[in-house]
Amino acid sequence: MNIPRWLAAATLSASLASTFTTSADDPSATIAALLKRIGQLEEKVVALENNRSSAASPAPAADAAPVDAARIASLEQQVKVLDRKNELANEAAAEKARTAPVLTAGPGGFQLRSADTNFVIKLRGYAQADARFFPDDNVGGTVNDQFLMRRVRPILEGTLYEKYDFRIMTDFASGITSSAANNGFLQDGYLTARFYPEFQVQAGKFKEPVGLERLQSGANLLFIERAYPTQLVPNRDVGFQVQGDLAAGRLNYQVGAFNGVANGGSGDADTTDDDKDIAARLFATPFKDSDNDWIRGLGFGVAGTIGDQEGNATASNLRTAVSPGQQRLFGYRSGAGTNAATANVVADGRIWRVSPQFYHYIGPFGIIGEFVVSNQQVRRDDGAKSFAKLENTAWQVAASWFLTGEDNSFKAVAPRKPFTIGGEGWGAFEVAARISQLDIDDATFPLYANAASSATSATSWGVGLNWHLDKNIKASLDYEQTDLGGGSSPLLDNGEKAVLTRAQVSF
Amino acid sequence: MKRFFTLLLAAAAFTGALAKEVTLLNVSYDPTRELYNAVNKAFSEQWKTKTGDTVTVRQSPGGSGRQARAVIDGLDADVVTLALAYDIDAIAERSRQVPKDWQKRLPENSTPYTSAIVFLVRKGNPKGIKDWGDLVRPGVAVITPDPKTSGGARWNYLAAWGCALHQPGGTPASAKDFLAKLFKNVAIRDTGARGATTTFVQREIGDVLIAWENEAILALKELGEGKFEVVAPSESILAEPPVAVVDKVTKKRGTTEVAKAYLDFLYTDAGQEIVAKNHYRPRNAAVAARFAADFPKLKLFTIDEVFGGWAKAHKEHFADGGTYDQIQAPRP
Repeated sequence: MNIPRWLAAATLSASLASTFTTSADDPSATIAALLKRIGQLEEKVVALENNRSSAASPAPAADAAPVDAARIASLEQQVKVLDRKNELANEAAAEKARTAPVLTAGPGGFQLRSADTNFVIKLRGYAQADARFFPDDNVGGTVNDQFLMRRVRPILEGTLYEKYDFRIMTDFASGITSSAANNGFLQDGYLTARFYPEFQVQAGKFKEPVGLERLQSGANLLFIERAYPTQLVPNRDVGFQVQGDLAAGRLNYQVGAFNGVANGGSGDADTTDDDKDIAARLFATPFKDSDNDWIRGLGFGVAGTIGDQEGNATASNLRTAVSPGQQRLFGYRSGAGTNAATANVVADGRIWRVSPQFYHYIGPFGIIGEFVVSNQQVRRDDGAKSFAKLENTAWQVAASWFLTGEDNSFKAVAPRKPFTIGGEGWGAFEVAARISQLDIDDATFPLYANAASSATSATSWGVGLNWHLDKNIKASLDYEQTDLGGGSSPLLDNGEKAVLTRAQVSF
Repeated sequence: MKRFFTLLLAAAAFTGALAKEVTLLNVSYDPTRELYNAVNKAFSEQWKTKTGDTVTVRQSPGGSGRQARAVIDGLDADVVTLALAYDIDAIAERSRQVPKDWQKRLPENSTPYTSAIVFLVRKGNPKGIKDWGDLVRPGVAVITPDPKTSGGARWNYLAAWGCALHQPGGTPASAKDFLAKLFKNVAIRDTGARGATTTFVQREIGDVLIAWENEAILALKELGEGKFEVVAPSESILAEPPVAVVDKVTKKRGTTEVAKAYLDFLYTDAGQEIVAKNHYRPRNAAVAARFAADFPKLKLFTIDEVFGGWAKAHKEHFADGGTYDQIQAPRP
């Protein structure tokens, strides 16, 4: 009877010893091994205790009971040691989980953050593959049907020391390459110091706070191309701004100083003048916390810029206007500027813009609207110089409805039932309609733009269907028809009918 | 009379309006919770009486080495009350949040109380443990925390080393051999002294706990009445846990004055009384005499006498590749 017990004890000791040497580097493996061993030892202790109490015959030797008691005590100690080790391993694992960086991957992108979330780095991005078709360009249109990569934008953003955010976004889309002259390659590159919700400072290259649709992410647009008001406000510019949320987030403000860019333009550096633009925006969402569904999604505000801009023979600081199909429909005169036939027009003097704007989202319904007036002094060089203050305006109203019932939003919308092959979900379907108009100052013609090749006005209406397969994938189909005023070119005579499609991935 | 009361009320309101609420963070080592609970309460009351300000002292107990690393890594401690001077030296050297001469700023080398290393055994001392030599006997399960993370464990280690060295014919080699045998008998190494006490007292593991004297007495009186005995070895080390204001943090937070007053309070008669009642040896001779019966008589040596100070002791014993690393059998 004693010999097998000795053997058992020896075996147990050996196996315990091997357990003791299990590496503590992997807490989960250690815990599993310890738990298993504890279970085995507990069974052995119970078996030994049963053996001792049930051993009635033959009578145990006088010294057998103390020996058994010592063995049992020893085993109990070892079980307790293992229990405690398990406890400590659990504590260590919990501590490690509490302090270890966290790596996550999901619909919102890929993220690495410190345990206290004070340091975060995110890899995000979006890409858009477009196709443009012009059904009646045989009437005289000059543009070809085409496939293109409209935007290919990896985004690296994050947070340092809890309060400092950064964002870097480049664009590898069709026709955009990295070069000194390319203002589109670096889209965003800025640092935001969030001292308080009410007071933040942002510096670098980013969107000037003016156009409502311009401020909407390119991945969340209702239509494939933005409407005309966006072409009369700045895009991205280098500078700094103070921004914040007041009244518990119901009033948002931004005020900034920038190099100054042409309408619709972006800039990396100011090479033409010393002057700077001031841009400001005030936007209210007074009912954002209301329980009333009819008013909760209402937002409205006004934005504007003021400054002086100068162009020169190589950089006019003026831009063309384009149709929804991205065809040129208006441009200022450009040339060598030595005589009337080669007149060159450049920015020269004060430019100001004002843009009242609003959106309203009620359940699946959403509507956005904005108006822009842009007033700019320009100079015509043709040997002599002549000046004019030209005031162009644009507006748009766009509405949409989620057929599948999702709550509409200025930001990204997640489908209730994402699309799955063979599954029940079909994603979210959104129908949209829009009308938009651009009106060029009459004083522009004929001195500052050629009425034969530039439209005096453009009115576009469009309908669209957006299929949000899930939070990351979206397919869009738009039909846009444009009527153009003035001019005699085939495009201006016939207007534009464009079918635009897009496949988009964003994360 | 009415005017007098009006003025009195106005003065009271004015005083109330000026009163501040101050929060301090005391980053301390594991077994000091009870001590600083009492100190915090007494100091807050005293400070309120003196200034009208309300002081709340938060505590963050943990292994001393770990705590020092946390402060170096940015934990905003107004004061540190750690187990050994080396840990505050590390804060001074690596993060420069305290000056290098921090130990000269308060009396007694900035150690307002001391302790010693003793043994806690189970009632009746079933393994007959009386001195350091008994800890290396086969079959004796020893509990002591890990010197890599615990200041208390370092004191334990150095106490054992010093006593081995003081044996007839004792040499560094024999001391090292003794420590190797001792750590072969260690069943579990917790990260801090309080964890080791939990292992021994509440989990009922081991035959002997090498512990701070204050922790052993506390366990005896409050954690397991009648279940344990304190054994005073023939010789032990005088453990001197130091305190310091973390200047950079208090300047940033505007708490320098109250943080200094908090540590000064430890040296007052009231503070020393609290120290003694929590089983730490007070520096104040009069208070020490009143509580002499509470502490066993011990022959004590200091770290400077045997090891040449903390910097040298750390380098030789606890730095990577030191004697502690050298004696490691595979860790249990």
